[in-house]
Amino acid sequence: MKNFHGIIFAYSAAPELRELVGARTAASLPFCGRYRLIDFALSSMRNAGVLDVGIIMQRDYQSLLDHIGSGKAWDMSRRSGGLRMLPPFGLPEYHTGNYTGTIEALNAVSTYIRDIPQKYLVLLLGNMCANIDLVPIMRQHSRSGVEITAICADHDPDGSHHRYVLGEDGFVKQILFDRTEGEGLPSLEGYIINKDTLLRMMDGCKSHNQYSFHKDAVAAFLARGGKMATYVHPGYAAAIRTVEAYYKASMDMLKTEYRRQMFPADRPVRTKVHEEVSTYYGETAVSRNSLVADNCKIEGSIENCIIFSGARIEKGAKLRNCIVMRGGIVGENTELDCVIADKFCSFSPGTVLTGNARLPMVVPKGVSI
Amino acid sequence: MKKNCIAMLLAGGQGSRLYALTQKVAKPSVPFGGKYRIIDFPLSNCANSGIDTVGVLTQYRPLQLNSYIGNGQPWDLDVADGGVYILPPYQSAGEKGSWFSGTANAIYQNISFIETYNPENVLILSGDHIYKMDYSDMLREHVEREAACTISVLQVSMEEATRFGIMNLGEDGYVNQFEEKPKQPKSDLASMGIYIFNWKKLREYLIADENDPKSSKDFGKNIIPNMLAAGEKLWPYRFKGYWRDVGTITSLWDANMDMLSPDLINLYDPAWPIGSRSPICPPHYAGEKSEIIHSIVTEGCEVDGHVENSVLSPNVVIGKGAVVNYSVLMPGAVVENGAVVEYAIVGENTVVHSGAHVGAPPDGTDAWGVATCGPDIEIRSGASVPAGAMIYTGEEV
Repeated sequence: MKNFHGIIFAYSAAPELRELVGARTAASLPFCGRYRLIDFALSSMRNAGVLDVGIIMQRDYQSLLDHIGSGKAWDMSRRSGGLRMLPPFGLPEYHTGNYTGTIEALNAVSTYIRDIPQKYLVLLLGNMCANIDLVPIMRQHSRSGVEITAICADHDPDGSHHRYVLGEDGFVKQILFDRTEGEGLPSLEGYIINKDTLLRMMDGCKSHNQYSFHKDAVAAFLARGGKMATYVHPGYAAAIRTVEAYYKASMDMLKTEYRRQMFPADRPVRTKVHEEVSTYYGETAVSRNSLVADNCKIEGSIENCIIFSGARIEKGAKLRNCIVMRGGIVGENTELDCVIADKFCSFSPGTVLTGNARLPMVVPKGVSI
Repeated sequence: MKKNCIAMLLAGGQGSRLYALTQKVAKPSVPFGGKYRIIDFPLSNCANSGIDTVGVLTQYRPLQLNSYIGNGQPWDLDVADGGVYILPPYQSAGEKGSWFSGTANAIYQNISFIETYNPENVLILSGDHIYKMDYSDMLREHVEREAACTISVLQVSMEEATRFGIMNLGEDGYVNQFEEKPKQPKSDLASMGIYIFNWKKLREYLIADENDPKSSKDFGKNIIPNMLAAGEKLWPYRFKGYWRDVGTITSLWDANMDMLSPDLINLYDPAWPIGSRSPICPPHYAGEKSEIIHSIVTEGCEVDGHVENSVLSPNVVIGKGAVVNYSVLMPGAVVENGAVVEYAIVGENTVVHSGAHVGAPPDGTDAWGVATCGPDIEIRSGASVPAGAMIYTGEEV
């Protein structure tokens, strides 16, 4: 799609993801056995033919850089255009502290935004777990003549979010901040916006020392009577900002219905490819309602689990409701329940650890127990 | 650009002894071991051995092979000076053009390709073997021994030797006789069909052989015997390790079953990666009622039934109450609820409908064999495919 340019926000620190974001951003959080959260935004854009994409990042982006590389996995390694990683530019005021809001993040890379040749921008969150079909939204936006189209969910997502209330004309008349339910449509913080409109918002906020996309820029846009449409994304969506949300979204992937929505055959989720063999199940393996990536060795018992590639589940080990990330080693007769084991954790034989579905226990990256 | 050694991979054969599995594709692109296709092994071996220029000679049904190889990226063969080249038969000015009439003729027809790299040596590979091999080690021996040709050999038992091309050695350790399937073998060193030739020598022999109207233009039948007769130095390179010819249904099934014993061949050695172009799909899902025992399962699969001693390629679906035992399921194969598949190979995207039964356990008779269904077949509900059957695409079952 020649007229559209993608921007993905991957700077989010999301402190409530606790140990999971010790050395990474929320966007590079491993998800569903083989993916990173940002794969969904990147794949949504790729599958809609949006191949010129800037990724806004600020700190702890090493794992993100490593994952994305040249963008080849999403066909975004192009001769001209393609993928650009956007750490803060050489403006000293953006090198201290965290970005306080999306507008500040955009202003930190404002020269990039100004140089975008396309007329429309597609904005998506790097930590939004949703496979969004952008094609009909882009079509609707360019035909309708509105300045902004907000992508909304077809259900009330968990946790606080903004909501758009529509007027009788079908356009947005009001934005409600930080709701969990009620009037209006829940925002997925994904937008299609005219480049000129976004630049005006960025300049307006900068001169008023404002940072927030929703509370400052969108509110002011609506107040001056700007035209904003909505599009309801039919299908799964979850913003990942807390450990609990991460755990719930992971467990949701065990439901076939959600998996079909997230991984449709005609809009595949692309990711960095590792060279790996198939997973081997031993003589004593038991597996129930679990997702298992390649290159694992399963000899124990797993139930309601998500097992990333390279994990070893030894004989007699019993795992229930667990997430074991890449390279995890679970020793013989270990019992784990509601545990999230980050990459390369190991559990010596006989370990017993129990979390709770509401408060899953997180074992940080590389820890041996 | 001059290269020390380039590889020529003979991938044009039909693989007629794989019957339904090669009805529409060439043998090297037959799926293997869950994630792979047969050609992944020689291509990965080349890349891992530092050979970055590979000509792939195609002839029979090359479409899928061509798209699978693409630019060679999965094997790190997408390099600027060299890379992987698909070499189909072609027509020259003033000629009628002709198909490759033998393995030697296929190389002869591509002399001009080889000349563009002007290599010292040429490695000849075939596309129907499963093995990991460091060709650079073989090349080192080839150079040290100043051989015109080095032939990779495998030690086999004397009984097996009657089925192979056997190398007999002189006192100096060089090959002095080659016997194809000898009734009374004098040695237990079997040719693996992997050769390194000094390019100048090979070029001479290829041209001479091409001008011999009685020749069948084959490496094993003509070029090697001619070199021996002329007194050239032929060195045997002794390979140790896992090596399987997968040219028949039984050997293909056997080698797949070997993948359940990682001690035989470790495919996940970070120092020797086997690349493959596999579809990106979500992790496989093991359902509430699934039982998966001593099997390998690949991404994209959905398993709700009982799977034992089997190899599941990407995107295989096993329905509730289905039983899969001692079988190889190729990408996208579906075994519906309550169907039974045992001692069988099920081709790509073939559907075994509910209640159907494919294959049977060995009954001790010579008539028994692995049941094989080609790709894109519907085995209708309640149908029974007996042991040893061969179902071709387009057949009604």
